[in-house]
Amino acid sequence: MCMELQLGLAPPGSDTWSRPLLKLGLYEDINVNSKKRGFDHGYLEDEFSAASFKNYEKGLVGWPPVKTWRRKKLRCQVHNHMTAAENGCCGGRASNSTYVKVKMEGVVIARKIDISIHQSFETLTTTLMTMFDIFDENRRSFKLTYQDKEGDWLIAEDVPWRFWCSSCDLGRSGYFCL
Amino acid sequence: MHKKMAFSFPDEVLEHVFSFIQSDKDRNAVSMVCKSWYEIERWCRRKVFVGNCYAVSPRMVIRRFPEFRSIELKGKPHFADFNLVPDGWGGYVFPWIAEMAGAYPWLEEIRLKRMVVTDESLELIAKSFKNFKVLVLSSCEGFSTDGLAAIAASCKNLKELDLRDCEVDDLSAHWLSHFPETYTSLVSLNISCLGSDEASFSALERLVRRCTNLKTLRLNRAVPLDKIANILRHAPQLVEFGTGTYTADVRPDVYSDLAGVLSSCKELKSLSGFWDVIPDYLPAIYPVCSKLTSLNLSYATIQSPDLIKLVSHCPNLQRLLVLDYIEDSGLEVLASSCKDLQELRVFPSDPFGAEPNVSLTEQGLVAVSLGCPKLQSVLYFCRRMSNEALVTIARSRPNFTRFRLCIIEPKTADYLTLEPLDVGFGAIVQYCKDLRRLSLSGLLTDRVFEYIGTYAKKLEMLSVAFAGDSDLGLHHVLSGCESLRKLEIRDCPFGDKALLANAAKLETMRSLWISSCAVSFAACKLLGQKMPRLNVEVIDERGPPDSRPENCPVDKLYIYRSIAGPRFDMPPFVWTMDEDSGLRLS
Repeated sequence: MCMELQLGLAPPGSDTWSRPLLKLGLYEDINVNSKKRGFDHGYLEDEFSAASFKNYEKGLVGWPPVKTWRRKKLRCQVHNHMTAAENGCCGGRASNSTYVKVKMEGVVIARKIDISIHQSFETLTTTLMTMFDIFDENRRSFKLTYQDKEGDWLIAEDVPWRFWCSSCDLGRSGYFCL
Repeated sequence: MHKKMAFSFPDEVLEHVFSFIQSDKDRNAVSMVCKSWYEIERWCRRKVFVGNCYAVSPRMVIRRFPEFRSIELKGKPHFADFNLVPDGWGGYVFPWIAEMAGAYPWLEEIRLKRMVVTDESLELIAKSFKNFKVLVLSSCEGFSTDGLAAIAASCKNLKELDLRDCEVDDLSAHWLSHFPETYTSLVSLNISCLGSDEASFSALERLVRRCTNLKTLRLNRAVPLDKIANILRHAPQLVEFGTGTYTADVRPDVYSDLAGVLSSCKELKSLSGFWDVIPDYLPAIYPVCSKLTSLNLSYATIQSPDLIKLVSHCPNLQRLLVLDYIEDSGLEVLASSCKDLQELRVFPSDPFGAEPNVSLTEQGLVAVSLGCPKLQSVLYFCRRMSNEALVTIARSRPNFTRFRLCIIEPKTADYLTLEPLDVGFGAIVQYCKDLRRLSLSGLLTDRVFEYIGTYAKKLEMLSVAFAGDSDLGLHHVLSGCESLRKLEIRDCPFGDKALLANAAKLETMRSLWISSCAVSFAACKLLGQKMPRLNVEVIDERGPPDSRPENCPVDKLYIYRSIAGPRFDMPPFVWTMDEDSGLRLS
């Protein structure tokens, strides 16, 4: 059984998201792409550290050549800037909203979930399961995976949470499969 | 009789003459004239520069220069800035501090770049050097605010504490309170890289108030906008100021307070910081803009119209760092307003986005090159380029000394002709005869390297990525660039031939970094064997290189000349190729 949960990472109020994003389904049913680009060789780290950051599309380390420190500082800023925009503090680009639209197959009404208030995939999963009334004992049979822009399925836990959360790339089309 | 007179200047006279020679290069040249000049020079050299901390040992430096007061050390290769050097690689400063602590109680200045600095090292500095005055840490890591507290508490004569782009473990903002109440000698403080969520504002205010010689103050993001006025009020003599966060609820009293205090800073020449900027507060700095020579807006996520307004108020700007939100239109205004501009850096606001998020193209760079006659240093990130634009830029601005262009997508061709950008970059090296530093990007064949080898005779540092077709490319560079000191290459089809054929060249350079290319382990071993004065270090996180076939390419290779021999502090993923052509296991 595979429940289709479509999370869209789009500005709030935007009705269109052309790509399906988050998917809820049983692990065995998911065709996880074995090509785990770029997250092998010990680049997996819990901390959003320099070593784990990559140009996600190409799996390139250190490209474009922007200093780690600068990337971090700018990212924190854009993130906060956008959250502030959400709260109506100031105008600005809203293309990197931290809100995610949730839609479940068979359910007409879409829901919204704020990624930024979660600290890990654990808490996100818990929230999602509560949202869709999945009992806790069924939790273990679900695995969180997501589809990126190029259509590859990747296991969510392989990506450091903060990396996934704050990366613009992933932000546009993360497709979770629980 | 005449012969004798040539050497009859007393040492003190020569020493006095040498004291006017400050540059490292000149000092080195002086020391090579004859034995007696070598001797005199080494006793009176006060500033020592070590471009690669592994090229020489601390003891060797101390032996040769018994009375230096200032040392500058650089550690990790430049590509460490982009995460290409794994953690734990090296660059530890502690051995240097330990040796100097014993030999130089009168050491005054330490400047470090890309080194690992521990709290232990900082504590040792604080304890050992009674007249310590200047600590500049640039892109360093490994220490916490505890180490800073030790410096603050003990260094009574500290004038400069400058932490640039450092990774600091922010345990407590209260380290600032460790400066004693009697301490007043601070001239420059840069804590912009500190993160602490709570800053000790009162300690900071008190410090600023009593240090009346303070000229440079760069705050960190934790300092809110409404606190800046209180701090600045006590320092109207500031020449360089970095704000903290530049956002707050828009309140007229906060605004006028800030504007008032800023306009009383008559000496202000440089502004930076501007995190979380909201445009409403920007006009507060307009009164000081006309005197500004340096402006760092590279964290300011404001849009082109606000940037344009700001920049038009700064006719005397010499240095601008900005995000690509400035767009081509903003750069055109810059070109017409800021005729004194010498250095421009445009950073990408969305480096990993597939589509451009702003309208910044090669046109902006062309505009600035055409409009700013003194422009000599550029770092520019964009998404498209053409040979035509590069040729225009080269022709109009032959005075470039540093040209670093990053076209974000690797191997991007000329967007007009779909050809490689060889001709464009060729024009840059041909027209800009004083070019010292060059970074390439875009689609490039071996031809661009032929141009570089032929024309770039003053080039000292070259950065190459995703370029070239064959070893010939590398050969052109190594055989042609006479002044080359640092070469860093990644993801290019360069292999053994060019490297081995130009082995001798490597001894004339500071270092060569080559990663994700096609250099085999066998070639590395051979190089290590042939060249005893080179440290040939293989970095490979996959495991020992001899666990794979010899002709397998190594992951990363760092080669540097050294008179200190192989180093002993290597982590498990670094192997040095020594004369025995075997592996030295660390």
